[in-house]
Amino acid sequence: MKILVVEDNYQLAADLSSFLEENGFVVEYVDTLSKARSKVSIYTYDLVVVDIGLPDGSGLDLISDLKGNSSPASILIVTAKNAIEDKVRGLELGADDYITKPFHKAELNARIRSILRRNKFSGSNLLQFGEVKVDLLSMDVTVNETPIDLTRKEYDLLVYFMYNAKKVITKESIAEHLWGDHIDQADNFDFLYNHIKNLRKKIIGAGGKGYIQSVYGMGYKFSD
Amino acid sequence: MQSFRLLTKTTLIYLVFIALTFFVSVRYLTLKSDSYINTQTEGFFEYRQAKLQRMAERHQTEIEERLHEMHGLKLLTDADSLIRKKAPYVRDSLILNQEKEEVNMFRLKTIIVDINGKNYAYTMRINIEDFTKLRADLLESITKAFVILALVITLFSLFLSGFLLRPFYRILEQMNLYKVGKGIDEPLVKTSTSEFKKMQSLFRKMVCRTEEDYRKLKEYTENMAHEIQTPLAIIRNKTENLIADSHVMEAHTSTVKAIYDEANHLSNLGTTLNLLTKIENGEYSNVVTVSTQAVIERHVDAVKELVGLKALSIETNLNQSHSLDIDPFLFDILLKNLLRNAIRYGTNAGSITISTTSNTLTISNYGEPLSVKPERIFERFYSSNTSSSSLGLGLSLVKRICDLNQLEVKYSYGNGQHIFSIENARN
Repeated sequence: MKILVVEDNYQLAADLSSFLEENGFVVEYVDTLSKARSKVSIYTYDLVVVDIGLPDGSGLDLISDLKGNSSPASILIVTAKNAIEDKVRGLELGADDYITKPFHKAELNARIRSILRRNKFSGSNLLQFGEVKVDLLSMDVTVNETPIDLTRKEYDLLVYFMYNAKKVITKESIAEHLWGDHIDQADNFDFLYNHIKNLRKKIIGAGGKGYIQSVYGMGYKFSD
Repeated sequence: MQSFRLLTKTTLIYLVFIALTFFVSVRYLTLKSDSYINTQTEGFFEYRQAKLQRMAERHQTEIEERLHEMHGLKLLTDADSLIRKKAPYVRDSLILNQEKEEVNMFRLKTIIVDINGKNYAYTMRINIEDFTKLRADLLESITKAFVILALVITLFSLFLSGFLLRPFYRILEQMNLYKVGKGIDEPLVKTSTSEFKKMQSLFRKMVCRTEEDYRKLKEYTENMAHEIQTPLAIIRNKTENLIADSHVMEAHTSTVKAIYDEANHLSNLGTTLNLLTKIENGEYSNVVTVSTQAVIERHVDAVKELVGLKALSIETNLNQSHSLDIDPFLFDILLKNLLRNAIRYGTNAGSITISTTSNTLTISNYGEPLSVKPERIFERFYSSNTSSSSLGLGLSLVKRICDLNQLEVKYSYGNGQHIFSIENARN
């Protein structure tokens, strides 16, 4: 899977690239709109992650380019928070999804995987980790082929974990993924703990392993 | 202290001054005319007295008969001791003037004369009708003059306030209507009064300076809020890398946690400040009539689970016809912040209630009374607790949104409940 990251901040781009590479993607990055334009005119990418605010123009123009060339690339736009205009405009132009800055890398990963799964028919709708299987279409979860019944939030949580398997995900990232900015972060963590406890209990109850591990009280990791 | 308009005040002072002048001049003129009458009559009386004296000397023998003919002479008996005691005296009296057949003012002087060893009371009289008439005329005309003068001055001051001070009041009006950040569209008020000109130009200069300062401040906030986001994102990402590194975490859990938490806090702060600035810049002006019921239900649905986990409950009592003229995005933020506030501070003494009537939206939650001043809760960073998880911007955001959409948000506390209500300020 080939991803083009268009981001003008070097540090941020480098960080994202190495993160995505760790997740098994092939990543290239450019820091200006013009460079991005020449890249997409020469190469084919599976996904383009484009920041709207670029030094030499709006990332929205790149979307028009891609759509004009009927490029098969999926598009994920990065907008500033509260810039609803950009969001709406981007989606209208044909972007597949948006993520608001600043975002958690785990969130980005989940979004990318979800877009790719939806757009690439080759992409499997089945997530598997050990004996835990999730069918993303029917939303069925099985452990050792035994179906388990999860609430909506528990399901979202599990999918988020499985997209970011073996990686540490911070509580903030999970809370934001599940609840957006609906309530204060501090309150979220107690709720989060509840959900995680229940999810873990359900997986173990169906004969699974205790995959969800707490990491120094700062986050969790879905791992063996 | 009671205040008066400048011109009213000047007019009053003028009138008092004129009244004083009037009384002084009236007093002066009466004294003057009285002393004139006195001089005139005294001369006459002296002349008559001397004439009587001369007559008495000249006609020693037949004086008795002559005296009988003389008018106003009366032989005093012992019974007339009162006259003896009083004399000489002067009095004014109204007496019938036989020549003109009218009653005139006379001045009478009674003296005692000694003729041939007999005491006579001699009363002389002089018509002073013309003098007193003149004096009365004088008073009358001066009173008339005063009344006319007072009237003219009052009218003139009314005219002045209408005409001369009109530019002044128009400049005042502009000052009154001026709002920071909005500038002044009104043209300069035309005036040829140098004081007003000076005032206006000072005011305009001040406005320019204020606008400039405000713009700079806004720009600064905007830039700060926006530009810190990328470095913060980097700090956060790098910290996440550290969190994934068990070697680092074994040694520095609390340090990494602190960096991560504070970076998140700062980032949220920046985002919210940025939002505030954007709201103040009027970037969300897609005002439509939002029917609130569906929106509120959606929000309540989104937080229901959180409410339940906090052992709280939430009740709604929504009126279908309630609507607000507001940008839907801003209404979302408004609701989100009020709900967040209610969930954060709500206790399980009772449920959080959201209700709407045809024109009011109320969100209430149970809780202890505020330990801070209620009138300050809409200020930025004014919070009873300093927990790092609270931004201290939520309610000021609510206030700003309401202000900009002609909505009035009120806070009250009653029956153990914190109540926020939003009403259309135009009604």
